[in-house]
Amino acid sequence: MTRARLWLLLPFGALALVVLLVPLPFAPAPVTRELTVVARQFAFEPPVLRVNRGDRVRLTLEASDVVHGLHVDEYGVDARVEPGIARRVEFVADRAGKFRYRCSVSCGPLHPFMTGELVVSPNLPFVRAVGLTLVVLAATLVSLRRLPPGGAPGTT
Amino acid sequence: MTERPTRTAGRTRGEIVALAALVVILVGFPAGVLLYQFVVRPAVADVRTIDLLARVPETGGITPETIKVAAGEPVRLRVSVPDVTHGIAIGPGLALDLGHVDPGQVKEVRVTFERPGRYTVYCNVWCSPNHWRMRSTILVYDPARPDAALPSDAPDPVIESLAARHVDLDAPHEAPAVPARPFASERGARVVDRLGPALPADLARPEWRRRHSPAQAWARLVAAGLARDEAWDAVAHLWVGALDGARLEAVATLFRKNCAACHGESGDGRGPGAAALAAQGIGQHGGAAAPKKPAAFTRAGSMLGGTSELYYAKVRRGGMGTGMPSWGPVLTRDETWMLVDYLWTLQFRPARAPRV
Repeated sequence: MTRARLWLLLPFGALALVVLLVPLPFAPAPVTRELTVVARQFAFEPPVLRVNRGDRVRLTLEASDVVHGLHVDEYGVDARVEPGIARRVEFVADRAGKFRYRCSVSCGPLHPFMTGELVVSPNLPFVRAVGLTLVVLAATLVSLRRLPPGGAPGTT
Repeated sequence: MTERPTRTAGRTRGEIVALAALVVILVGFPAGVLLYQFVVRPAVADVRTIDLLARVPETGGITPETIKVAAGEPVRLRVSVPDVTHGIAIGPGLALDLGHVDPGQVKEVRVTFERPGRYTVYCNVWCSPNHWRMRSTILVYDPARPDAALPSDAPDPVIESLAARHVDLDAPHEAPAVPARPFASERGARVVDRLGPALPADLARPEWRRRHSPAQAWARLVAAGLARDEAWDAVAHLWVGALDGARLEAVATLFRKNCAACHGESGDGRGPGAAALAAQGIGQHGGAAAPKKPAAFTRAGSMLGGTSELYYAKVRRGGMGTGMPSWGPVLTRDETWMLVDYLWTLQFRPARAPRV
């Protein structure tokens, strides 16, 4: 890459940083997510829960055969659920990452393998993503543009 | 002269010692354990210990199946489970619930059965499609008269009276009319207040209401000149009046623990147990296409055509060729009436049923 192109792309890099870091006029509203998890021997349905950071997660926990539990690693959530008696569990997903959740009540021979995954994505607001895409698009177009013959000043 | 090892019956002393050690380990150790469990511990312990092993019925249920205890004799019950979580309780009328017993856990309770009778150890947590078979019996005899008949064997007057009137507990009881709009028992209270003495005298009597269905009461009110919707509201008010406050909370817990697995928490008949029973073909008879499902207490047609005493008898007798167990050996008569009143609450005032 020539130095001219580099100079050309610099403003786009700065713009991308602005798009990523500038405080938005509106706060990213945390959503309340109503999710139902059905525990049976030896799986959770659904096996993966996807939420965004900051969301309030309202789980309705049901068991379909024997007593099961739900323990979410690092979230300190632990509840047991009896067949027929739905349990409500509520927590705020304040840490991003993938967290294993597992059955916490010995429910049979394959109990240790009864796990699921809570995926907490960093809550990148949609606008930032759109802005960043536009900046990258513009930068691509500019950098692909043919340079004038003889090159810009400062190039060899 | 060289010294030779002492020989006894052709063996050296070392061999004898080794043999003795082997006998001690192979015979003495198990014998010692059994001796402790069956001789030493009963002799040393202040009270008799009864070990109950609770497993899903497919692998044996609650053992021992029958336990004999003298009235007034304190005993210690130790419950352990090897497979999945069970809930162990003893009824009727003892308010003895050990709660969840998890695999690997041992729960102990010291209990004295004061009155002779037949008590039932049962599981109150859905644990298998055969969960409802999981019971064992404690026979509490009068130490003065060990051979006397147990008092709880006396027949139930309500069920006897139904039998005397040739009421078929299993006959369909569809109501001839059902309400066109949701019930409002609060509105019904105002209707009943307004009627005052004009309310048919029968309807004010709890005994009459137990013997008659809401549909019959409704017909009486309509005949007395009430509008159809108003009559249903009044019936709703009259039928749910019995339960409130702490009693409602207690019976809701009873329902959740023992009934909700099949009949659903809201009484809609769609609990997870219902699916498990259907998958096993339990409740399927005589070439029927589909198994008989658990009753839906929220359904107006079948519910409004039945009487409280009919439901009382059904709950206590159970059967119906389905997975419905007989609750007579588990619940007191009073608890059964409360449960029937709760069924009316599910029908007439679903929003009032307490939630977790």
